[in-house]
Amino acid sequence: MTRAEIERELLVWMREEPELHDERRFERLALALFAFQIEHAAPYRRFCEARGASPATVSSWREIPAVPTGAFKELALRCFRAEATVKVFRTSGTALARRGELHLDTLALYEASLVPSFEKGVLPDLAADERLPMFVLAASPTEAPDSSLSHMFGVMLERRGTTESACFVRHDELDVEALLAALEAVASANRLLLCGTAFAFVHLLEAMEERGRRLALPAGARVMETGGFKGRARELSRETLYAWIGERLGVPPGRCVNQYGMTELGSQFYDSVLREPEASRRKLVPPWVRVSIVAPESGREVRTGEPGVIRIVDLANTGSALAIATADLGRALVGGFEVLGRAAGAEARGCSIAADEMLLANA
Amino acid sequence: MRTPESGSAADVRDALARLRAAGPALRRRSRGERVEALGRALERLRDPGSAERRELEAGLPEATGFAPATVRAGLDRALAGWTVRSLRELVADELERGGKARLATGFPVTAVLLGGAVPTPTLLALAAPLVLGSAVLTRPSSHDPVTAAVFARALAAEDALIGAALEVTSFPHDDAPAMGALLSAECVVAFGSDETMRSVAGRISPAQRLVLHGHRLSVAVLGEGAHSGAALDAAADALALDVALWDQQGCLSPVALFVLGVESVPVALLDRLAAAFERAAARLPRGRTQLDAAAAVAHERDTAELRAAAGESVRVRSGPAFTLVAEPDARFRGSPLERFLRIHPARDAAALRAALAPLGPHLAAVGVAGLRAPAGGLEAELAGLGVSRICPLGAMQAPPLAWCHDGRGVLLPLARLADVEE
Repeated sequence: MTRAEIERELLVWMREEPELHDERRFERLALALFAFQIEHAAPYRRFCEARGASPATVSSWREIPAVPTGAFKELALRCFRAEATVKVFRTSGTALARRGELHLDTLALYEASLVPSFEKGVLPDLAADERLPMFVLAASPTEAPDSSLSHMFGVMLERRGTTESACFVRHDELDVEALLAALEAVASANRLLLCGTAFAFVHLLEAMEERGRRLALPAGARVMETGGFKGRARELSRETLYAWIGERLGVPPGRCVNQYGMTELGSQFYDSVLREPEASRRKLVPPWVRVSIVAPESGREVRTGEPGVIRIVDLANTGSALAIATADLGRALVGGFEVLGRAAGAEARGCSIAADEMLLANA
Repeated sequence: MRTPESGSAADVRDALARLRAAGPALRRRSRGERVEALGRALERLRDPGSAERRELEAGLPEATGFAPATVRAGLDRALAGWTVRSLRELVADELERGGKARLATGFPVTAVLLGGAVPTPTLLALAAPLVLGSAVLTRPSSHDPVTAAVFARALAAEDALIGAALEVTSFPHDDAPAMGALLSAECVVAFGSDETMRSVAGRISPAQRLVLHGHRLSVAVLGEGAHSGAALDAAADALALDVALWDQQGCLSPVALFVLGVESVPVALLDRLAAAFERAAARLPRGRTQLDAAAAVAHERDTAELRAAAGESVRVRSGPAFTLVAEPDARFRGSPLERFLRIHPARDAAALRAALAPLGPHLAAVGVAGLRAPAGGLEAELAGLGVSRICPLGAMQAPPLAWCHDGRGVLLPLARLADVEE
């Protein structure tokens, strides 16, 4: 199959049958895409050859060698000519740390993938053409053109946002007063969405606390937050953050959705809480993605419920690398997975500075 | 000497009260007597036949995750020079220099908030305030609940009165009232990450003495005299030992090697290093690796392999217990630890200086081998960057008692000084 054929089939899947879990289709497309990427990305081909992996030897998506996310900081991983690049998304960076880059020669598949996942995870109770006020605690795509998160919010805002919707991070500052005024102006709305980075929420909640402000957002309000606290002066557990959101904004934890995503991926994962409020919280996996949890040293899958490294095969990554090895820990659950953070307050085992700590200290 | 299982804020306050009561008796012992008792307690830990040493060897592997052989070798090397005599020399070095009439006394109580799993910094952190006549209340790290308690028992066995001035407390990390009580001591010593340092510093009043030992890192430098032959093999074995001890968790563990005088890391040199790391792993097996650490090692190794596949001049050598990555340039990249060492070419001293400069505030030690004698201004330049110890490879994990810990000394940061003028 050519890449164009693969993408055509994927676009139909994402746009017309986004709920359809089809194992045979996934396997066929994953192997075809692997063959394409091996042929068109020489570094990845050599990386696979060193592991004895080729289209002739790989018979399942589980066997496709995964590219570590760290490699996106080092190389322009793309299966197309550099001149064809239409967009480069970059990870957030620090003074010493290099920024990871995802190079794209089309945004069609990227956007086709993000929309149904967002709608399924964050807006499952809305009719297909229904809009709602969206208040984004992140910079607009115009202000942050290389932020995949801002791009995603921009796409969703245009598609599902009402006229009051806006981005409230301007010139790297959260405009707290404007945001609070906007929230108060839509107090009578049945539904609204507050979405942004977890750290921006912390900033908002601190500002509200300083001002002695509380809001009681409507029962149909929901929060979507993403990202961690690495490198920030303040680190909170998700439970603490959600309790704080409940206290200051009146949105209960059951209406707070965490998104697990990364610049290197074309697809994202959302908590199940709004879609399946009765079930236990877990990350939902789009039908064109597979997540496996593996032992770091052997690379072998661990059993359901056991912790391991999160490895992702994402068919939306047609132009870069479909198999990604993250640096995150997680565990598989029935019908999804859970991202495991480092335990709050856990001490380092030694007094030497590991790479990430040193880079953050110098940021 | 008391070592409660787990305490509340009231327990911590009670302990502080007992230690204040024990302080006068501690200070009635002369500094020389305190030094003798502390030195003998350290000797008990060095003696392979002592009950306390057996206790350390039995308890540390399970508690810390280090392999038994690594614990034995680490303690042997670190404690070899920690004698009564060297403790006396430390006192003379820091407190009696110049013959000036200067009095050095400790605070009534010093709280020591320990961190990490490496046991040797614990011993010096507990002994130093006692030398000065300060009672000590310590909270061990969750990664090493063994060392402080064993040292306290060894000290009590040597001198019950001095032993009564050292107590070990324990409470969960999120018990704010208990932490507040501990941090109310007149002098507070804290080990840990930048986050821990910030948290502790935020709770200390200006009237208190605060001594922080944040996370640091060390590097190794291989001069042209050790690029080949027997000198290279000796240096490689010494470096492998420095990395293997405490599984690279200590702030004196090298995380990178800079090969001076080359444009790229010679393949033969890399292979000799890999062989030395294999030998070290056979002698000193790597201990238990936490899942997140193993994940970070695998991630960094795979990233290096992909960089090599992309045509970068990167070479990877790895075994079940180590990873070596030869980098194409001197730019420091950090290490996920767990015996993961990056090897950088450094054309000359200027390239080395440029690579280390961004690390300045975090640099602890530089282990060296094969430098042309004299090494010229390199030592001065390293010291100027913030390095507090320059030593031969193979000795990085065995600092003398009288080393200028974090560039400040061992006793002086904990002492109240008074000059007596005529």
